[in-house]
Amino acid sequence: MITRTHTRGIASRTAIAVAVTAALLAGCATAPKPSAGAMNARNKLIQLQSNPELANRAAVAMKDADKAVQAAEMPQKDKAQEQHLALIADRKVDTARALAETALAESQRTALNEQREKARLDSRTEEADSAKLQTAMARADGAAQKLAADQSKADADAARTDAVNSQQQAATLQRQLDEMNAKVTDRGVVLTLGDVLFTSGKADLKAASTGNLNKLAKFLGEYPERTVMVEGHTDNVGSDEYNQALSERRADGVKAYLIGQGVSAVRLTAVGKGKSVAIADNTSAEGRQQNRRVEVVVSNTPIASR
Amino acid sequence: MHKRRLRKHPDARLPLATAVLATLFFAGCASAPPPTAQLQAAQQAIASAETTEAGRYAAAELGAARTKLASANAAVTEERMIVAGQFADEARAEAELASAKTANAKAIAVNDDMKRSTGVLVDEMKRSTGGTK
Repeated sequence: MITRTHTRGIASRTAIAVAVTAALLAGCATAPKPSAGAMNARNKLIQLQSNPELANRAAVAMKDADKAVQAAEMPQKDKAQEQHLALIADRKVDTARALAETALAESQRTALNEQREKARLDSRTEEADSAKLQTAMARADGAAQKLAADQSKADADAARTDAVNSQQQAATLQRQLDEMNAKVTDRGVVLTLGDVLFTSGKADLKAASTGNLNKLAKFLGEYPERTVMVEGHTDNVGSDEYNQALSERRADGVKAYLIGQGVSAVRLTAVGKGKSVAIADNTSAEGRQQNRRVEVVVSNTPIASR
Repeated sequence: MHKRRLRKHPDARLPLATAVLATLFFAGCASAPPPTAQLQAAQQAIASAETTEAGRYAAAELGAARTKLASANAAVTEERMIVAGQFADEARAEAELASAKTANAKAIAVNDDMKRSTGVLVDEMKRSTGGTK
């Protein structure tokens, strides 16, 4: 009995302590603490206000939103009123953000307009540049064509010059041959060195008559590809053997002289024809003189193609 | 003397208090005027939102505004004036949000259009540049 009563007393005291604690805790809980909705609205407002691009726009709406959030943060006994104020605060913050973003978008128009104008200008400049470039390219093409034309003209000129040169060369050759009383025959250019070069019956060249031979040597120096056949001829006075030998000695004499003038021996061939090839009548002194001769045959074709 | 009389008849206070409370109660309910100004403000805000094509750009908000205005009117007929006032205020807030969102959507659309046309010019330029090179 006694024990039970004691127990009951402890229990009732514990209950009182719990109740007091609960009351204290409840007191803490009901201390000014905004509703979840109000806190949400406050967070959204803080985000909006901390956005440097939006914070200073839509000032009136921003102020309204701030007031609404503060009102929602006030402790309310009525749950419905609390929710109502939180909703109003939320919508007003959203409205403030939308208006601030609108103001921001409108403020960007100037820059956008400038960008568009710049692009338009660039586009026109580009068009102009493009046209200019095309013109320049066309001009360059024209210049290139002109250059090509000039080149082909130059080529033609060069060809003409070559032709002129070869004509001149031919003319020069002809002139040189003319100077030496040379004749163009099937065998080549035939230069006839008359009897006057030689003392009768001798192979020695007369010193006074080496002019033509010097011209020949010079001519052969200018046309190094040509070979030369030196042929000795006589009249019909004396035996065949004598004339043959004489013709050979005279041909050799001319050959030796030419070698002495710098003509390569390889290019020179000396042959004696004796009295076999007469070019005039041996019955007259005049005819016999014409037959006593040395013919120098300059080949038409160069050595290489022979 | 007066004190003494009250002390003598403590029950006399009860009918008086009851009458006062009753008056206050009935005044609170029956004779409270409807939130006419708030309702009008909500109606105007909705009409204004409608003229800005909020139905196209902020249909949800405009719908919420209309629903809440209807709720406010319903509360008035039910003589729940405090609730009616709350609904009216909420309807107005929703309608104003609808207008703000509409304005924002239009402003962004204009900017996007400007950006796009600039982009077209730039693209054309690039293409023509690419063509000539």
